[in-house]
Amino acid sequence: MGKVWIEDIKRAVYIAEKDIKIYFFKGPNLTFGLLLPAVLYLAFAVGRTAEPIFAIPGVVAMAALFGAGAIQSVSLPLERRTGTFNMILTAPISLHAIILGKTLAGLFFGTVLSLAYTAIMTPFTQPSNLCLFLVGIVFSSFVFSAFGLFLSAPFRDIPQAMPPATVVRIIMVFFCGVFTSVETLPIALRAVAYSFPLTYSVDALRQAMYGSINIQIFLIDLTVQFFYAIAFLVAAIKIVKRTIE
Amino acid sequence: MNVAAAKRVKYIEVAIKVHDLTKHFPNILAVDHINFEVYRGELFGFLGPNGAGKTTTINMITGITKPTSGTAFILDHNVIKDPIRAKEHIGVVPDVPNVYDEMTAWDNINFNAKLHGVPTEKRINRARELLEPFGLYDRRNDRVGTFSRGMKKRLMIAAVLIHEPEILFLDEPTTGLDVQSSRHIRTMIKELNGQGTTVFLTTHYIEEADQLCQRIAIIDRGKIITIDNPEKLKAMVQVEHMIEVSFDRIDGIANNLKGLKHVNEVVATGDKFRLYTEEISATLPLIFDFAKKNHLKVISVNTLKPTLEDAFVKLTGLRPEIMDMEKDNIRSHEAK
Repeated sequence: MGKVWIEDIKRAVYIAEKDIKIYFFKGPNLTFGLLLPAVLYLAFAVGRTAEPIFAIPGVVAMAALFGAGAIQSVSLPLERRTGTFNMILTAPISLHAIILGKTLAGLFFGTVLSLAYTAIMTPFTQPSNLCLFLVGIVFSSFVFSAFGLFLSAPFRDIPQAMPPATVVRIIMVFFCGVFTSVETLPIALRAVAYSFPLTYSVDALRQAMYGSINIQIFLIDLTVQFFYAIAFLVAAIKIVKRTIE
Repeated sequence: MNVAAAKRVKYIEVAIKVHDLTKHFPNILAVDHINFEVYRGELFGFLGPNGAGKTTTINMITGITKPTSGTAFILDHNVIKDPIRAKEHIGVVPDVPNVYDEMTAWDNINFNAKLHGVPTEKRINRARELLEPFGLYDRRNDRVGTFSRGMKKRLMIAAVLIHEPEILFLDEPTTGLDVQSSRHIRTMIKELNGQGTTVFLTTHYIEEADQLCQRIAIIDRGKIITIDNPEKLKAMVQVEHMIEVSFDRIDGIANNLKGLKHVNEVVATGDKFRLYTEEISATLPLIFDFAKKNHLKVISVNTLKPTLEDAFVKLTGLRPEIMDMEKDNIRSHEAK
């Protein structure tokens, strides 16, 4: 039994490697993953006085959100349209492992883009606690990769999958403390903000950036993101299962 | 034990067992409680028109689609309860090659090898062994997006063979390919089967099924109509004989031929006429008399045995053109 699990995880890693190799430089990935966070930030921040130490965690969280999600809006729908997903389905690998492989690819992509943004922002300011900042990036990329899979699971083509996913992500950006603190929002909107995983991602990264870490709240941020990720993955597996039934 | 006896023993083992397999799509019963067995080492054909349920059946056996009810076994592994073990023994070549256009031929074949747990060293040697006879080794580092359809199909087959599957599923392997590629693939199928691989082949091409398969199942509207070997299927329609005749002209002859004694039916096929009769020896002189009276020159006369196509028409009630129409539909669909 244990050997089967190990084989399954190995095969999940092969799927992740393949996805990274194929989809990393695809147009939608670069547009949505690399450029959109910068464009959104500049559109909002130009003419305002946003302290880099406040702004950078938001931009890095956006990079994880769009980066990890962009690859998912491409890979699963495209593979289902071209039939390559069927090829994977006929291999001796569980559906859980296939979804895990795809999640790992998104996690990698989101992490790389977030690190790229962190590096670009280094001249302005650096995270006070780099280690926890990196932990925050990895958790954010994980949850947003799973979220991306959940959003793309029902679709069989990129043009179908991309618009709803982008709209949902942009809505999240305006609610979740990326540009302004969640505490400044009206109570009703604050409740909406706390229902989105991006809020916890931004909060964790901001704590690591400022260095004033409340370890309990930091752990809550990570735990909430983790459980969101699991919920998204379970939902994605169910949706994909239903489409092959 | 002689070779024939050894083959008989080999045939006793069941490679694929399908039990009451059924698939309902919304408003469509695609596959309707089908049952059959494919023996180890057999080349088994699955023949039927468009929408008959061929691909849905393959998809259910290979784990791409879940059956609504019923089950299937691959070498005793239940495909529903133990899918991973079942899939370890199979290779699936779909009708449309599902290789990654963005990857090279080498990377595609390696990815498939990794998914099937082929060790690195074996993977490299085997990839070369497979790509060379398929004429793809020199193109191994090219992106598959630049390959022709025939090359992609050959690559797909090579990729599927990387883990030496005991059972090979081939869904319309020669559809849409040029004559040379089709011949190459048919030869390869025969060779693989000769080496002991069990082959499950779906095809529209009646003559392909006749050439390759040891047994054929004919499926129509989700139900299996019959399963037998090609010669026995042909024997089912042997009550009528056929004479194929061609004259130096064809205008208005068919109706007159129908008036000949003993002739039950006349079908014009190109520049020839196919006469269906139960009295072949009595009909032949009548044809020559007919030619003389109508100042016709007989170009050729042949007596024909019933073909698998005749058996198919008799069993399904479908015209063979239905199969051609399907091929055309597939091609026009692919062109879109």
